[in-house]
Amino acid sequence: MGKYVIKRVLMAVLTLFIVICLTFFLMNAVPGSPWLSERNPSQATIDALNAKYGLDKPVIVQLGLYLQDLLHGDFRESLRMQRDRPVLDIITTMFPISASIGAIAIGWAILVGVPLGCLAAYKRGTWVDSLLRVICTLGISMPGFVVATILLHTLTGGIEGVNLLPALFDGTPKSYIMPCLALGFYPMCYLSRQTRTAMLDSINQEYIKTARAKGLKNGKIIFKHALRNAMIPVLTYLGPQIAFTLCGGFVVETVFSIPGLGRYFIQSIQNRDYPLIMGTTIFLAAFIIVMNLIVDLLYKLVDPRINLSKGGN
Amino acid sequence: MAQTEKTGKLLEVKDLRVSFFTPAGEVKAVGGISYELDYGEVMGIVGESGSGKSQEAYAIMGLLQSPGKVIGGSITLEGEDVLAKSKAEMIAMRGSKVAMIFQNPMTCLNPVYTIGNQLIEALRAHDKSVSKEEAAKRAMSMLEMVGINNVQKRMKQYPHELSGGMRQRVMIAMGLICHPQLLIADEPTTALDVTIQAQILELMKDLQKKTHMGIIFITHNLGVVAEICDKVSVMYAGKIVEQGLVDDIFYHPAHPYTEGLLRSMPRVDAESYERLIPIEGTPVDMLNPPEGCPFAPRCEHAMKICLHKMPPYVEVGDRHRSACWLRVEEQVQQEKAAPEAQAGEKEADERG
Amino acid sequence: MAEKKMKRAIGSLQPDVEEILHWNDLPADAFEPASESEKENFIQDRKSVSYWKDAWRRLRRNKVAMVAMVIVILLALFAFVGPMLVPYSYDQQIRGANNLHPWHYTWEDKQRISAYMEEQNGLANLTPDEAVEQARAEAEAEGREFTRIDEAKVRAAAVAGAQGGGDTVTEEEAAEALGIKTKPFGYSDDELQRMANGESVFPHVFGTDTHGRDILARTMMGARVSMIVGICCALIVLVIGALYGSISGYCGGKVDAVMQRIVEIIYTIPEVLIILLLGTVLRPVLSNFQNSGDGPLQSLVTVLGPNLISIFIAFGMLYWVTMSRIIRGQILQLKQQEYVTAARALGAKGGRIIKRHLLPNCIGQIVTTTFLQIPSAIFTESFLSFLGMGVTAPMTSLGSMCSDALGGLSTYPYRLFIPAIILSVMILCLNLFGDGLRDALDPRLKK
Repeated sequence: MGKYVIKRVLMAVLTLFIVICLTFFLMNAVPGSPWLSERNPSQATIDALNAKYGLDKPVIVQLGLYLQDLLHGDFRESLRMQRDRPVLDIITTMFPISASIGAIAIGWAILVGVPLGCLAAYKRGTWVDSLLRVICTLGISMPGFVVATILLHTLTGGIEGVNLLPALFDGTPKSYIMPCLALGFYPMCYLSRQTRTAMLDSINQEYIKTARAKGLKNGKIIFKHALRNAMIPVLTYLGPQIAFTLCGGFVVETVFSIPGLGRYFIQSIQNRDYPLIMGTTIFLAAFIIVMNLIVDLLYKLVDPRINLSKGGN
Repeated sequence: MAQTEKTGKLLEVKDLRVSFFTPAGEVKAVGGISYELDYGEVMGIVGESGSGKSQEAYAIMGLLQSPGKVIGGSITLEGEDVLAKSKAEMIAMRGSKVAMIFQNPMTCLNPVYTIGNQLIEALRAHDKSVSKEEAAKRAMSMLEMVGINNVQKRMKQYPHELSGGMRQRVMIAMGLICHPQLLIADEPTTALDVTIQAQILELMKDLQKKTHMGIIFITHNLGVVAEICDKVSVMYAGKIVEQGLVDDIFYHPAHPYTEGLLRSMPRVDAESYERLIPIEGTPVDMLNPPEGCPFAPRCEHAMKICLHKMPPYVEVGDRHRSACWLRVEEQVQQEKAAPEAQAGEKEADERG
Repeated sequence: MAEKKMKRAIGSLQPDVEEILHWNDLPADAFEPASESEKENFIQDRKSVSYWKDAWRRLRRNKVAMVAMVIVILLALFAFVGPMLVPYSYDQQIRGANNLHPWHYTWEDKQRISAYMEEQNGLANLTPDEAVEQARAEAEAEGREFTRIDEAKVRAAAVAGAQGGGDTVTEEEAAEALGIKTKPFGYSDDELQRMANGESVFPHVFGTDTHGRDILARTMMGARVSMIVGICCALIVLVIGALYGSISGYCGGKVDAVMQRIVEIIYTIPEVLIILLLGTVLRPVLSNFQNSGDGPLQSLVTVLGPNLISIFIAFGMLYWVTMSRIIRGQILQLKQQEYVTAARALGAKGGRIIKRHLLPNCIGQIVTTTFLQIPSAIFTESFLSFLGMGVTAPMTSLGSMCSDALGGLSTYPYRLFIPAIILSVMILCLNLFGDGLRDALDPRLKK
């Protein structure tokens, strides 16, 4: 077990390192400089600014220096968006909003999606199954912004007489409803589809035949024997799904004007705010990688067939 | 165990027909088979894959998967009509009266639950009054009975931690834990190594003697049949082509298919120069079954009549019958040789 | 009766007497050996159906998939043939046609409406005293008494009108008052006049946007961009994934181990982050490249547009991982099978084994995975464009149209809903058809 965990953690660290390097080079490959949109800066000003923020050195040296700072927990300061405010400070104020919306969204997605998937598998071939299948396929076919804008339009006064929720995000519980609904819809449908497939797969296994031959009742066969096995593959989809939900936050945060990390990330790319891009990328990437790692380890725990001491394969 | 040994008919299957309604058409997997099984009797059902032998067993258990359906005939178990039972009654019957063990012990045990969990569950599914501790005790004694040692530890192990033979033993223990009257074993040794096969067969024979249960032993291996069975039904293309006591089938096969099976079976006592003779050709397409005898195209003795008409059953000995025109021909010739005997035979029949 | 007896015979191990009696009626040659040819004719084998024919048969029976296929074909026609039929181009700014709704009033109705509005709004602009005077004059002209009550009413109305800050009658209110209904499609005033003069003018079916560009033409262009992105990305993913996966799976050993570590790393990289960055980086780089010369590559970039290419590359670099995993898995599985060992024993070379034996056996899964990559690529492209990281103006895509429409959502909701619905329906139908394809190509999955 320990050996496997160490191996996975090392992998995760390596991945994070690669993401950092990749982001750094990509960012520096973008033509233009953060100073260009200042009011007609003179060359001297630009040079001075570059020197001040260390942008005059070769990229590889810059990377080295950056990594050095990073190891000391220093994410540097924002260049443009909020000049000289520490990036870490920006992240720590914005991430809780994104994370809480993401967590609520993925939470309701799991709580609704998995039972719906079971229902569809149990009622396979009936109209319930067909209906759920169309809804869920529709759900994974509608990009987040479509769901978000439809909600925005219908629930905030776009239709006469319907004005249930505030259009703007102000941190009140009511204003959380729409973003969480919009963000969770895709993972809900996705999980439901995956659960259905996994359940059907599981129901067709031979141990289900054994369970039936033992004379177990249907409910016990479905919920004890089929579901537990079906959850194993579903769990593997969960890791990427959490990541996706977090990134889907970009869109939802844009539509509902939520001051979250995703929206800020997009703005920082548009503004070439190098330290902020680096900071948010590293933070989000680390978060996603850790999430994947946790799900991965959880997966090995749920499935007793996998022997962790032997490396997990 | 079943101390009060019952005698008489345990199971009677009459003209059972099972069809699969696939998009391409109706597949008559089982085309009208009949047999009887007494208490404590072991019957082998032999046939190649696709001959409908497993589907027939699933029909008894009520485990046929859609699109399979019983479309005719009757199944009577201990005097009760199985096909007329409600779903709940079927659930109650499975496991308690009839148990079934399957071919592949690797995939038949649920990988995420311990052996003990699955054994206890099988017991408590039919008897809620048994406490968990009591159930565990009985499960352990059952495991001991099927020849598993160190049962305390085994109970807590997961199926993947056991070997194939061990898992099949667990399957058997699970099947017998409610003391069923009938055990259907669907190729229980096919997926195992030869040495393990012998052990499992020995175990089943032993348990059968101890518990006096009826066994339907489905296999494609005649050697296994000789080992354990009292009587044999040979199935081909959804029909029983020959039925009889083990010795009769082995020493006086009355159907060319049975002969073919015997010739293709390796024998320990064979002379070194003897070669195994395979049965030529492939089984018929069950979607489009021919009118005549399904084995005709592969039969070296095929006659013109075989291609047009399904042969009737002919009594060739005591409790030994065969569906083959060759046997009919013999009978006809006997009758021609002794026409006066015919009248007597007819009389006897009418009395019977 | 005879039937009943026969059944009894089978069950009870009793030979059937009547049956025995009938034996004598058998044809004379009944017991003669059958010839080989007779035996051969006996077997009526089903015609063996080829894999593709069989798959097509299964697919055709799947109604949902077939409906989805028809819709996809219609959308493809919409995207690729449509622009030829519409006389407006996606970036053409039509003079005087800004912000047209997808409905209009006929020229005559419009004049009535404006006359009415002038009248009403003229009244509203009068001072209370003037309004009273006017009303009194009207009443006298009609020969009825103008009471104090009437005067009070008119005065109150005029005061209310004045207090409303020039609360003028809008076009809709005027139309409603006159009982005029809107007609479908949008036309600018200029076009309405030309139509009144007998010219035929192509309507703006979905109206126009703020810049006076025809929304129908833009939607068609957006759908075209989406489809091109989908198909190209799927092909890129297929090529890279299939190559990587088959090499990794076939070689095995250390090569496989190293290649799989790489895959694992790419798998855990948060793709959306990198695609966002990559898209932004590549766009200017490609623009520079495009302007750098006249080579064939440059003209290719010009034809497709640097935005699209950057999306392709970003996609191609990250999304092949799943495909390569699937193909590797298939190959590992197939490698164990005996016909591959047999081919090896016969001295077949690696490349030939992959081509002749392995790929044909996983073709079903490859086709399905590739096909399902199309909706996924369209999905991601729309997401990027919505965030302003995809295609750039004047080129359009369904995602960027939605993004543009976000500002005027309350006034012009259809500007968002039209591209959004087309986008969703496109992805939905591609997904449904892809599901059907998977069921048809891999019968093992269909339960």
